[in-house]
Amino acid sequence: MDKVMSDKRVIALYVLPALLMIIILVYVPIIMTGYYSLMKWDGIGERTFVALDNYKQLLKDSMFWKSVYHSFLLAVFSVLSLGGYLVVSLVLAGRIKGANILRKIYLIPMLLSSVAIAQLWLRIYHPSNGMLNQFLSFLGVDDPPNWLADPSIVLYSVFIPIIWQYAGFYILIYYAALKNIPSSIIEAAIIDGANPWQLAYKIKLPLIAGVIKVTIVLAVVGSLKYFDLIYVMTGGGPNGASEVIASYMYQKAFRSFNFGYGSAIAFSLLILCIVATWLIRKLTHTEEEVQY
Amino acid sequence: MEKSTYIYMKKIGMFLFYMMLFLVAGLQILPLVWLLFFSLKNNQEVFNTPLFSLPSPPRWENYVKVWVEGDIGLYFFNSLWITTVSVIFTVLLASFVTFAITRMNWKLKHVVLGLFMVGLMIPIHSTLIPLFNFFMKVKLIDHPMSIVLTNIGFNLPITIMILLGFYNALPRELEESAVMDGCSVHRMFFQVILPMTSPVIVTTTIINMIYNWNEFVFVNTFISSDEYKTLTVGIQNFIGQYTTDWGAIGATLMISVLPILIIFFFLSNKIMEGITAGAIKG
Amino acid sequence: MLKKAHTILWLVVLMLVLAGCSEKTTEKDTEGKGEEKVTLTFMHLWPAGSSKQHNMIVNEIIQEFEAENPNVKIKQEILENEQYKNKLKVLGASNELPDIGMTWAAGFLEPYAKGGLFTPLDDLLDGGLRENFVSGTTEPYALDGKTYALPLELNITPIYYNKGIFEKYNLEVPKTYDEFKQVVQVLVDNGVAPIALGNKDRWTGSMWYMYLADRIGGADTLKNAINGSGTFEDPSLVQAAEEIQNLVKMKAFIKGFNGLSNDEAKAEFTNEKAAMYLMGTWDLPQFTTNEDIPKEFREKVGFFKFPEVEGGKGNIDSWVGGPGVGLFVSENSKHKEEAKQFVKFFVEKWGERSVTRAGVIPATKVNTANIDLPQMYIDVLNELANASNITLFADVQMNPEAAQTHLNLIQSLFGESVTPEKFAKQHQEALSNTR
Repeated sequence: MDKVMSDKRVIALYVLPALLMIIILVYVPIIMTGYYSLMKWDGIGERTFVALDNYKQLLKDSMFWKSVYHSFLLAVFSVLSLGGYLVVSLVLAGRIKGANILRKIYLIPMLLSSVAIAQLWLRIYHPSNGMLNQFLSFLGVDDPPNWLADPSIVLYSVFIPIIWQYAGFYILIYYAALKNIPSSIIEAAIIDGANPWQLAYKIKLPLIAGVIKVTIVLAVVGSLKYFDLIYVMTGGGPNGASEVIASYMYQKAFRSFNFGYGSAIAFSLLILCIVATWLIRKLTHTEEEVQY
Repeated sequence: MEKSTYIYMKKIGMFLFYMMLFLVAGLQILPLVWLLFFSLKNNQEVFNTPLFSLPSPPRWENYVKVWVEGDIGLYFFNSLWITTVSVIFTVLLASFVTFAITRMNWKLKHVVLGLFMVGLMIPIHSTLIPLFNFFMKVKLIDHPMSIVLTNIGFNLPITIMILLGFYNALPRELEESAVMDGCSVHRMFFQVILPMTSPVIVTTTIINMIYNWNEFVFVNTFISSDEYKTLTVGIQNFIGQYTTDWGAIGATLMISVLPILIIFFFLSNKIMEGITAGAIKG
Repeated sequence: MLKKAHTILWLVVLMLVLAGCSEKTTEKDTEGKGEEKVTLTFMHLWPAGSSKQHNMIVNEIIQEFEAENPNVKIKQEILENEQYKNKLKVLGASNELPDIGMTWAAGFLEPYAKGGLFTPLDDLLDGGLRENFVSGTTEPYALDGKTYALPLELNITPIYYNKGIFEKYNLEVPKTYDEFKQVVQVLVDNGVAPIALGNKDRWTGSMWYMYLADRIGGADTLKNAINGSGTFEDPSLVQAAEEIQNLVKMKAFIKGFNGLSNDEAKAEFTNEKAAMYLMGTWDLPQFTTNEDIPKEFREKVGFFKFPEVEGGKGNIDSWVGGPGVGLFVSENSKHKEEAKQFVKFFVEKWGERSVTRAGVIPATKVNTANIDLPQMYIDVLNELANASNITLFADVQMNPEAAQTHLNLIQSLFGESVTPEKFAKQHQEALSNTR
């Protein structure tokens, strides 16, 4: 057994093609980003080596720290929302009538591109004729909020569509994981008299713990480098109130023509992601992986 | 008496429960309905009529315009084959890697896994200039292969991550018995592991399909000839220097979501079928 | 089975590797033919979908050029604004700009010109083309005495207003800023939103600030503050910022303006929910010939000049505006001469066609006497002829870094999250740091 499963040639054959692609397509850009981050460069003209100047400036840049804080907030909300997705998946994967069609319908929004989702939510949030504020006026609210213009709420206003956009993604993963549990285990538990709560909490959740850990990492990393909807819906504004790391990086590199500085932001983002992932792995580490 | 109240309560509870489920389902369908209505409006109506109102008359000409003025047929074909090729290679390569990392014994596997995970963490906008230079050097600029390669490269990490959770949960007895029978690693992978993981393979296929189908940053940057552009780029045809034709954008979005919706419905059934197939083999 | 598995695996690897090799051979074929035939790449912003007329004119001009120069083929690539700017940046970083492309003036062009990516076009101007341009329109494309692009359009920014709403409340077109504020007050009192403004895009709010700065401090104060010969902490520039916040406090702008895009704000104006709208003359077709917008509304639209501030140094014939996009030729183009000839040809053919058919006000002189134009165009062209000064959009004047700071500060100013004094101070810092 061991001998067969340690065949170096097989391992190389299985791993190298993918590894090669990653190294060329992802690591070369990462290294170049690190290199550019040590330069003063507008992205066009000459590059001047400035060592760690960009990073020193970054440490003093309050806008950068604000965007880091916003990105972390998004990560926290995303992780919390995983709980909700898990409940929905447990329900959909359970023995309920119409589960098949319900599951499909629940995942529809995830098929839409960010462009479409952004347009939908811009209409919902429109301050005067948006769906939300018309509803609030109907309820008798005098001066409904400016969802995307008020700096104190804009961040949360854009979080909602983001979290909604990703619901399908996580529900799909959880659903597949739950369905992957051999039915013999579930049946045995039911025979033993487990009620649906016990079944979910004591049997199903521990069995998909590995998948849950992975989704936590995905949610955190995905949130930290999130860009799409924020850029379309608010552009990071007003006045940076919804700026996140990736949108700030984009603004600096592509709008301010400060590619060196933008690269420093991108590289810091990478480091933040690595640290966060490492922490998550530490925190959720268990001695042995659950097996059936 | 107590028992009948209990049953009664339980029935009400179930009723409310299903009400909730279908209510949420209704909400989740609304975006599609909205998009359909949106695609039948002109600019005036897009901004000034309620979200879920059908304009009168519905402007079907938006679809005609999109079909005639954009080269939608060609874009559609490009989207289709680029997505298909990218998805197949991503899922296959990712399965190889995950299998080797979770089931085989070698020293560097944690390092390699780490390498793949870091691949998740780079914002795409900072990769554009280095990647453009790279594709320039290998003469793949303005060649659809550049899109296929980046699609694969950038989706491998997330695919591997998702597969990982599932592979870890696979019983090892299976492989042991397979090896006992004198089965080779390749055969085990293709005949035992792949069928058993088909639910997650379908899942990652769906996810990859959506990502690749909606991708536009790389297409915009690496492709300049019309003949290689994809559907998402078609949207740009309706964004002008100072004005934007929102209705036509809606129609383009609608046209581009339909195929993916159909494939999704089809694949979504496969998650279940896969599970039964895996169960029989196992 | 074993063989099958291996075959599949190697196919994977092979396909990935082969992809690169197969391409090289096809590439060589085209290069071989390239010696007699010249293919020029041309990147622009006018897709057939949203800019049908522009696109048709471009195609016509290309056809005519190709007919006159049978050895030259022009290959177009069309992107929307945002993606266009990104792609130009990536291409610029790799020294792979298209032979001909579009650029914005001043601040946008500066890095490309300084980086030696655009070629000077002064020989075209000196060769007789200079007379074609409205005077002053090529200057924003010049750097250190060399002109790096030739403009295609020229815009000024009037305040459009809804005559129907003005009549309903017995309002007159304001001549002074005090009258303007009274108009705003009357509209607010009657529950009509006075001004449509989509300040998510930020340059929209910048125009309001620029006009107030111009009317209070005169045409040169802001210009000098930006070019460094003056200071942004000039009292008149601070006062202009105060006036913006006074307007905000009066509720002069539509609800939630800081979160609305220009498109959304424009819809409020065309929907007759807002009475006034400060915007470039590029929107003239929307208010004159565009069939998508109801005729009753188009007939109600008029425009007026930004009123004078009493006691201010500015004058009512001074405008915010300037040339929009211009054509550049890449310094690294293999066929620079042909590209330059195309630019010359394009500029010559563009003017009259663009105004009559696409509603563009071109940067080249057009004899309007024998052209049939909507009245509003004639009025605008007359204003243009009488203009005492045209101040280029502030975010275009500044270098990209300072421009971003300016735009963010504009949003904060309108959102009342920065005081006028700090607004001026932070501008001054950004401008002196990035100079």
